[in-house]
Amino acid sequence: MSQRLKSVCIVGGGSAGWLAAAVIAARHRTGHPDDIEVTLIESEAIGILGVGEGTWPTMRNTLRKIGVSETEFFRECNASFKQGAKFSGWATGAADDFYYHPLVLPEGFPSLDLAPFWNHYATGNEAVPSFSDAVCFQEAVCEKGLAPKLITTPEYGCVANYAYHLDANKFAAFLKKHCVEKLGVRHVVDDVEEVVLDQTGDVSHLRTAKSDELRADLFVDCTGFRALLIGKALGVPFRPCDDVLFIDRALAVQVPYDAPDQDIVPHTLSTAQKSGWVWDIGLQNRRGVGYVYSSAHSSAEAAEAELAAYVGPAIDTLQPREIRIQSGHREQFWKGNCVAVGLSAGFLEPLEASALVLIELSVEMISAMLPATRDTMDITARRFNEVTRYRWDRIIDFLKLHYSLSQRDDSAFWRDNRDPASIPDSLQEQLALWRYRAPGDQDFSSNNEMFPAASYQYVLFGMGFKMDLSGRSYLVQDGARAEEAFRRNAAMKDKWTRTLPKNRELIGKILEYGMAKV
Amino acid sequence: MHLVELSRQSHGGLRLDPARIGEQAARCHMVPLVISEFRRALADFPIVLAKSQETGRFAPYALMGLAPEENLFWDGTRLDASHVPLNLRRLPFAIGVDPQADGTSRNAVCVDMESPAVSEAGPEALIDGEGRDTAYFLGVQKVLHELLSYKLLTEQFVQTLAERDLIAEMRLNIVLEGGKPLVLTGLYGLDEDKFNRLPDAALAQLRQDGHLTPAYAMMLSTARIQSLIDRRNRLEARDRAWFQ
Repeated sequence: MSQRLKSVCIVGGGSAGWLAAAVIAARHRTGHPDDIEVTLIESEAIGILGVGEGTWPTMRNTLRKIGVSETEFFRECNASFKQGAKFSGWATGAADDFYYHPLVLPEGFPSLDLAPFWNHYATGNEAVPSFSDAVCFQEAVCEKGLAPKLITTPEYGCVANYAYHLDANKFAAFLKKHCVEKLGVRHVVDDVEEVVLDQTGDVSHLRTAKSDELRADLFVDCTGFRALLIGKALGVPFRPCDDVLFIDRALAVQVPYDAPDQDIVPHTLSTAQKSGWVWDIGLQNRRGVGYVYSSAHSSAEAAEAELAAYVGPAIDTLQPREIRIQSGHREQFWKGNCVAVGLSAGFLEPLEASALVLIELSVEMISAMLPATRDTMDITARRFNEVTRYRWDRIIDFLKLHYSLSQRDDSAFWRDNRDPASIPDSLQEQLALWRYRAPGDQDFSSNNEMFPAASYQYVLFGMGFKMDLSGRSYLVQDGARAEEAFRRNAAMKDKWTRTLPKNRELIGKILEYGMAKV
Repeated sequence: MHLVELSRQSHGGLRLDPARIGEQAARCHMVPLVISEFRRALADFPIVLAKSQETGRFAPYALMGLAPEENLFWDGTRLDASHVPLNLRRLPFAIGVDPQADGTSRNAVCVDMESPAVSEAGPEALIDGEGRDTAYFLGVQKVLHELLSYKLLTEQFVQTLAERDLIAEMRLNIVLEGGKPLVLTGLYGLDEDKFNRLPDAALAQLRQDGHLTPAYAMMLSTARIQSLIDRRNRLEARDRAWFQ
């Protein structure tokens, strides 16, 4: 019988490392003698980057599965609710230019598709509300600064679908505690001095500063941009995609609230600038703000000035931190007995908060597919690589969609983003089809899709895109069901904007009283 | 509701009509309980848990109706039950919490000046001609005292149930005799399966903390849901007879 897989070693203790440890241990450490041994080694000397403060709604399920209380998560991670993103200035750059990508699906979707009806009513009629407002009640909830649930809603339950904003450093510490105390993860604090390969090219062991060697059957590289195992030791090349996504710099600051009771914005703010965009994420105790831009289109000084203008007077006391980034990913994510998760696998600008969700999906897949033996690992690796590559490609397409539809003409950054040579063929094909019909499930047929068709609808129509339905006007002739759905949405908007509490008020109650489990 | 702190100076001449408390009780479908009265409540009512709209925390209630504002025990003049919960008997008085400057808080007896039971024509007074508390007022004080004494124990009991994950939503799908379906939501009870699987040490701890008896009282009281359905069926039958 081939060598059994008995141990997993995760290298690096950021969000990726601890999520990997938690998800793998929650499934493979049950108190049984055949349990997998899960070890996480992290360096005391190397800090964590601590970006990635926005999640997807998937994080609720991930947290529940690893067995943590949502109340504790709020108490220990400075967490707040995120109900999607508000994109300002992306379409035209005008003062009133904004749209939402909410987390609640359009009313009736997918059995009823409101997009052609909305397109029909809104074409040539400025008075019709925006797509996201017409088909989804969440935009109104966000505009009023309300939370997505009530204090009586159980942990992980919701009125309106939600994700989180969190403090990545605190999140890593929170997961660490849970992994070590509850899930039986062995925690080693030590520095990796050498990654030693065996004659087959697998990682044999790690030579560390304090002990001679750390062996495991599978290594998970969560060493961040350093990519100590997958890049340095195994030599898997990095595949840049900066010909599609131009952003390569981030200027990040932590902005204090003006007053302790200031509203916490219940969604991510993404505000377009001359050469990129500013993220703005409200935590309990501060905002995380940053300008991601293209250094080919803007000088560092100009970028700092734009960030300062966004932040306002508070910038005088803050020191923006510059992070150099390169968009792209590894040619392979799993090679031999080593799989990369997190920044070691790749990086994309945080426009749709894809970093943490890719970590969740990757570690869930590793945990579910965890090969029983070394000789079945290569099959697993090949499948993992196919699926993960597909996911990265879909995210790249979706991010580029935001840029490719902009009508902004105020800088080379926005014009260059519309250059067809910079738009992947897969996206160009979709856009060609969507000129005549709305994005639908038929356009996204894989089991491993990242964004549902509804997300494409929100961005497409939010960016001012209109379909030409003149050849298929029979599709919108019977508007009774659609009008009923629009009315339902209006009723939900009315009900929930009157019932839901303010975001900070609910978070305050969660900290004080906690949420019930049922 | 307009609660003011009670004082001998301001309220010495207050007159009360306890019979009119019923006007408030008639519209209550749930009345909060403290654990000391579970045993007595069990004779008539299902003891359920519900969440506070304000804090989301669970508290125990006597269920008196199958719809909001419905009290199936109110017969028009009195509550047709052997035990009238303390939280009805205390009306129109309440214990108010008065926060102090040093961060502590003080309990104060309050009266709801908007209650129909506060009535100049009422037969009861707080103080007699010689300045002593009347028997009526002493009775009210006893009720308030019991509520206050068991407040913390009741909270601890419910907190224990929540921490041990013993609380489950009660999904009641009732079909009345006339065929009318009735779905009740927002009510919670003990998860009996989980309770019966508790390890011995956990059960011993519950017994030691005095939580075992109220837990069993809650579980057994679910049999009273049928009495509520019966009452509702009788009411509906009467209504049907009236309209025929």
